[in-house]
Amino acid sequence: MKFKTFAQRMAIALSLMLVATSVLAAPLSYRLRVDGLACPFCAYGIEKKLGALEGVQSVETNIRDGVVIVTMKDCATLDETTAKKAVKEAGFSLRKFEPAQPTPPSTPEGRTK
Amino acid sequence: MRTTIKVGLAALCVWGGAAWSAPITFNTALPVHEGGYVLREQFMYMKIADDPTPLQRDMRVAGVMSVLGYGVTSDFALFGMLPWFNKRLDMTMGGQALTRHQSDVGDFTLLGRYTAYQHDAPGRTLRIAPFLGVKMPTGEDNARDGFGRLPPPVQPGSGSWDVLGGAVLTYQTLDFQIDSQLSYKANREANGFQAGNVAELDGSLQYRLWPGSLGSGIPAFLYGVLEANLIHSAKDDSGGIADPNSGGTALFLSPGLQYVTRKWIVEVGVQIPVSQQFNGTALKNNYVLSTGVRINF
Repeated sequence: MKFKTFAQRMAIALSLMLVATSVLAAPLSYRLRVDGLACPFCAYGIEKKLGALEGVQSVETNIRDGVVIVTMKDCATLDETTAKKAVKEAGFSLRKFEPAQPTPPSTPEGRTK
Repeated sequence: MRTTIKVGLAALCVWGGAAWSAPITFNTALPVHEGGYVLREQFMYMKIADDPTPLQRDMRVAGVMSVLGYGVTSDFALFGMLPWFNKRLDMTMGGQALTRHQSDVGDFTLLGRYTAYQHDAPGRTLRIAPFLGVKMPTGEDNARDGFGRLPPPVQPGSGSWDVLGGAVLTYQTLDFQIDSQLSYKANREANGFQAGNVAELDGSLQYRLWPGSLGSGIPAFLYGVLEANLIHSAKDDSGGIADPNSGGTALFLSPGLQYVTRKWIVEVGVQIPVSQQFNGTALKNNYVLSTGVRINF
């Protein structure tokens, strides 16, 4: 194998490894469909409750679609029971809970502690 | 005149429960999140004039209602309400102008509201919440001036422990909100005077005027508000005798505007009398200007 070809292949392999590493290390996000959310002033409570959960990095609410995206800190996870409790404490109902991006196979879901 | 003032102040007392994105003149069934607070400061100005009698009574009431709501659970919220009044009564007696005036903190009201029914769906909610409260005689009820003891309408407090209760229904969507409330306030005797009990039926429509279509995130809303308040007051009782110049029924319409954000609300409204059928010589001209702010924390 020529040195030029070897160098090209190595560069490609390293690039793929970097991309894969960054994907696996990306914080987890969850998509919550929340029923009953219909005004801006009400959204504050749900963001406060979800934002106070351990391991939560950020909470973004889309009031039009009734969707709340919860992004976790590195390695932290969120389970449906915890999310449902927080939504209930805010005065609303959790309709659907799903990962917003693929969950790494090596990371089991469960409440971050 | 007592009736007019009492009707106006009764409405003001119930406003205290409206600490959420909600009607301007009464309560709502929307939630206060568990462990969360809502603070409301409402400024009002009430004018009662056009007295047909030779007394030419003219009363102005400026007030600030401070309300702090706390979510004990997601279903049960407590509201504490404390008004401050500046009351001025001008009249003519024996050809001489006479002014009675008092400024002070009024009676504190503690109100609990429980969400008994809740149905949530995407972008909308329906809730029914009964509430029960007690008004405590924390305000001065024996204030005097150079002419003697001030009449009850000018006193900042009533001196009595009163009970109020009712239920409120709220249907909220992303485009509009409807609230309806039925309430009753049972007044008790103090200093030989017992104000008549007050029953009230309220309705409110809040319609989103802006933005026309919703984008992503949490956009601020501008609501156009139209409310109606039907208030019936029983006759007052003074020294065991019903006052023939008290009691009656009034219907108010209240247009207003609300600007609602994630953290705060500002609002302005005016309560205009549409019909006032009071007993005896009660005054029949009354409006209430109100503006306020609510903060979420």
